[in-house]
Amino acid sequence: MGLLLAALRPLAVMNENVLTLGRTVGCLAMALMVVAILVQVFFRYVLNNALPWPDEAARFAMLWMTGLMAPTALRRGGFVAIDMLHRFIPHFLAQLLNLFLLTISLLVLCVAVKIGCNEVTGFGGRFATASLHIPFSLDFSQWHRVPRSWMMASLLVGCTLLVMVNIELIIRSLIGLLGGYSKLPPIPEAETDELPAGAE
Amino acid sequence: ADYTLRATANSNENDEDYDGLVVFKNYVEAASNGAIEVELFIGTQLCSNGAECLQGVAEGTIDIYISTSGGASGIFPYVQVLDLPYLMADDRIAEHVLSGDFTRKMREMALEDSDNSIRLMTIGNTGGWRNFANTKHRIASPSDMEGLKIRTVVADLPQELVKALGASPTPIPWPELFTSFQTGVVEGSKNGITDIMNMKFPDAGLKYVTLDGHAYMGALWWMNNQKFLDMPEDQRRVVVDGFYALQQATFASPKRKSIAAYEEFVADGGDLYVPTPEEKAAFKEAATPVFDWFKGNVNRGDEILSALETSVAAAEEDINAARDADMK
Amino acid sequence: MLIWFLPVFLVFLLVGLPVFFGLLAAPGLLLWMNGQERDITLLYRNVYNGMDSFPLMAIPFFMLAGELMNRGGITLRLVEFSQALMGHLRGGLAHVNVLSSMLFAGLSGSAVADTSALGSMLIPAMEKQGYSRRFAAAITAASSVIGPIIPPSGIMIIYAYVMGESVAALFLAGIVPGVLVGLGLMGMVKLMADRYDFPVASRKQTWGERGQAGLKAFFPLLTPVIILGGILGGVFTPTEAAAVAVAYALLIGLFVLRTLTLKEIPDVLNRAGITSAVVLLLVGAAMAFKTVVSLSHAPEIMAETILALSDNPLVLLFLINLLLFVVGMFLDAGPAIIILGPILGPIFTNLGVDPIHFAIIMSVNLTIGLATPPMGLVLFVAASVSREKVENIARAILPFLAVEIAVIFLVTYIPALSMTIPRLTGFAD
Ligand code: NA
Ligand code: NA
Repeated sequence: MGLLLAALRPLAVMNENVLTLGRTVGCLAMALMVVAILVQVFFRYVLNNALPWPDEAARFAMLWMTGLMAPTALRRGGFVAIDMLHRFIPHFLAQLLNLFLLTISLLVLCVAVKIGCNEVTGFGGRFATASLHIPFSLDFSQWHRVPRSWMMASLLVGCTLLVMVNIELIIRSLIGLLGGYSKLPPIPEAETDELPAGAE
Repeated sequence: ADYTLRATANSNENDEDYDGLVVFKNYVEAASNGAIEVELFIGTQLCSNGAECLQGVAEGTIDIYISTSGGASGIFPYVQVLDLPYLMADDRIAEHVLSGDFTRKMREMALEDSDNSIRLMTIGNTGGWRNFANTKHRIASPSDMEGLKIRTVVADLPQELVKALGASPTPIPWPELFTSFQTGVVEGSKNGITDIMNMKFPDAGLKYVTLDGHAYMGALWWMNNQKFLDMPEDQRRVVVDGFYALQQATFASPKRKSIAAYEEFVADGGDLYVPTPEEKAAFKEAATPVFDWFKGNVNRGDEILSALETSVAAAEEDINAARDADMK
Repeated sequence: MLIWFLPVFLVFLLVGLPVFFGLLAAPGLLLWMNGQERDITLLYRNVYNGMDSFPLMAIPFFMLAGELMNRGGITLRLVEFSQALMGHLRGGLAHVNVLSSMLFAGLSGSAVADTSALGSMLIPAMEKQGYSRRFAAAITAASSVIGPIIPPSGIMIIYAYVMGESVAALFLAGIVPGVLVGLGLMGMVKLMADRYDFPVASRKQTWGERGQAGLKAFFPLLTPVIILGGILGGVFTPTEAAAVAVAYALLIGLFVLRTLTLKEIPDVLNRAGITSAVVLLLVGAAMAFKTVVSLSHAPEIMAETILALSDNPLVLLFLINLLLFVVGMFLDAGPAIIILGPILGPIFTNLGVDPIHFAIIMSVNLTIGLATPPMGLVLFVAASVSREKVENIARAILPFLAVEIAVIFLVTYIPALSMTIPRLTGFAD
């Protein structure tokens, strides 16, 4: 258990910091979405001059917001699940079940990261976005369209962060299984107590 | 079956695309004696737009897919050459052009730009010709377009065209278009008559259609190249002939379907206007900036435009000769 | 063979795998066993494609607007206004709970937000007046389902997105059914209040006092007027309306009512962002799941089965309501709509049911499923807000569920309830 605790601490610290950064960027993305759409309304309705880019820019921001903020939800126990069974089986079995479920989740996420890498570097990423341009030279004389891969990377990054969180949760679950609840560092703002019902 | 082809179209079973696919499926399955099976997925079950679906075609999760030029423009920007206004005069010219070397040229370019993964099988039609339609007043000359908010897809060329004619391009998602007409978020669109009637746009106030036919609604049929090349030669022949049958079906279907659509539109009190040759020339004149924009901004735009112009000239010559012979 | 992913999915759900992972693990497993590995890529791709949508953006926007309103003390003003109107009745706070939910529904598209915002305020207040905790939590949960029935509504945004309907039409069609649920719950509260002698909350207010409370709630109550008025008046599309609602909430919170400070904004963004991220991922996963549903030809099989039962739309609507209710017990409304909408919608449209009417039947039924065990999201939230056991709330909510089931059938068999407003405004024919 000492080994598990030793592995958990640095991972927990890293996750906490990386996810805090993710949330900060995610919040900015959310704000950007609102601004982009308000600009769209203003230009079309007030100036009668619809802009081509706000739609896509806002979607860009929304996808990154999702990828960067969902891992925090997983870490805090915010992914929806039916936890009825946990209440009806003995405490030890409930813990084993929890570990099993976390393993399935990890499996799903690992496959997702693998496919995600191929997708971002693959053919689909080479499509150009329809309306997002960025300068390709310092004097702003050359503008290129943003490749779709920059948008697609949001889910890959999100899944990678989810893997890191999931590993942390698995280590926590193992420590719990070995009877080390009291030694687990608390997860800030976690929605539910991690102890399965009946453990109190 | 030895080969199962998974074909998808993002439209619905009322669409020309579906007619084409049914003909294709029937021909291929019969002509291959059951060696090839065609599975149809109509709608957005597998993928829901050009970028998503073409990615599927490139990577083999989808074998056959039909896109519009707008749908493929994110990866093959030069396909928008079909959206350049007033290049082909009528169906007869367009069908001649699309049955010939122009399509082969585009196939070659797309294979080059997709590392030999996406093959253009044929170009058919989906919905006839694009016309300007609006909720405000009859459009007889470019000046009537001044200030109108016209819905376009999120793509460069249609937006440039609307701007060149003095109107204001407004991107609106297709499902929101009905409401947007009704409430006045937009005042016009560029669509074929069958789409206009299928979506019941006249109920939302779309009462004026000008048959300027500014663009041919080409349907680009793509296939995973590996899947095609992996078939033995006799089966490839069946597939190629199947796409020929499909193309013919999609050429014919909109003509048949548009008759009832036009009748219904007029019966509902719609205003259908056919511009005179002089008026059409004025539209063409006003739209010239789009051609400069296309040549200046679209990668390989020059190359494809000259291929199209060459084909159109040849088609006009062939057809005129044939017509003269038929009239004797 | 592939079709087995449906029972596998159900098993995953019941043993407690988060819905998001279950939606991917079950079809992924079966595709892998079936040797269709290329389609696992398609599964992943459609999670991404499912989220990449402009209409869906209204969901994070309405979440954000709701969060801003709640921070801005606006919820409190709605409750005070409700109390001024109904506090003097027997069972006053229970009535206030329902009316507040109806008013809150005009600002928020989420039942969960309703439960947590109103529950944290009203459940302790009701307990103080002598209501049992389980009753207070139950009426909070039961009335919060009005949130996504009266516009705006996250669930109807998802329905419109998946089925290609107009968001505006669905919003308009939800108004009467939502009010009906509210009135029905008030009726049940009155029955129970007379029988169990519930307390009154306050003395009867004069019309002057009511006017004052109304004035304080004026700006928040203007929100639905701006949203619907803006959409109907052609100023903006529903997604844009949602962004405008955010700006409006910010404006009145910061400058008009001064109940919000700039310092609170990052926290508001954070909360709205995390909640939306979970919902959007779930939408993506459900869209991917739907892909495998199509590949397995389940829709054709299901359509045949259903039409073999009867060809009378009235009978089929009854059966479908039962099915939806059971599905709603186990599955969140969003994923249920994404998976079942494309299967059931066309069957009933072909039988002559108006697509908007069917959308409302499905949305109302699955929304009420949010308050049924075992998978009732708002039951969970009510439990955590009130610290009462889910089982106890689930029992106390039964009379209210009975009322809501009655509303489902009214809405099903009287199309005019949902169709009149969209027809009068020209959004349906
Ligand atoms: Na609402
Ligand atoms: Na309530």
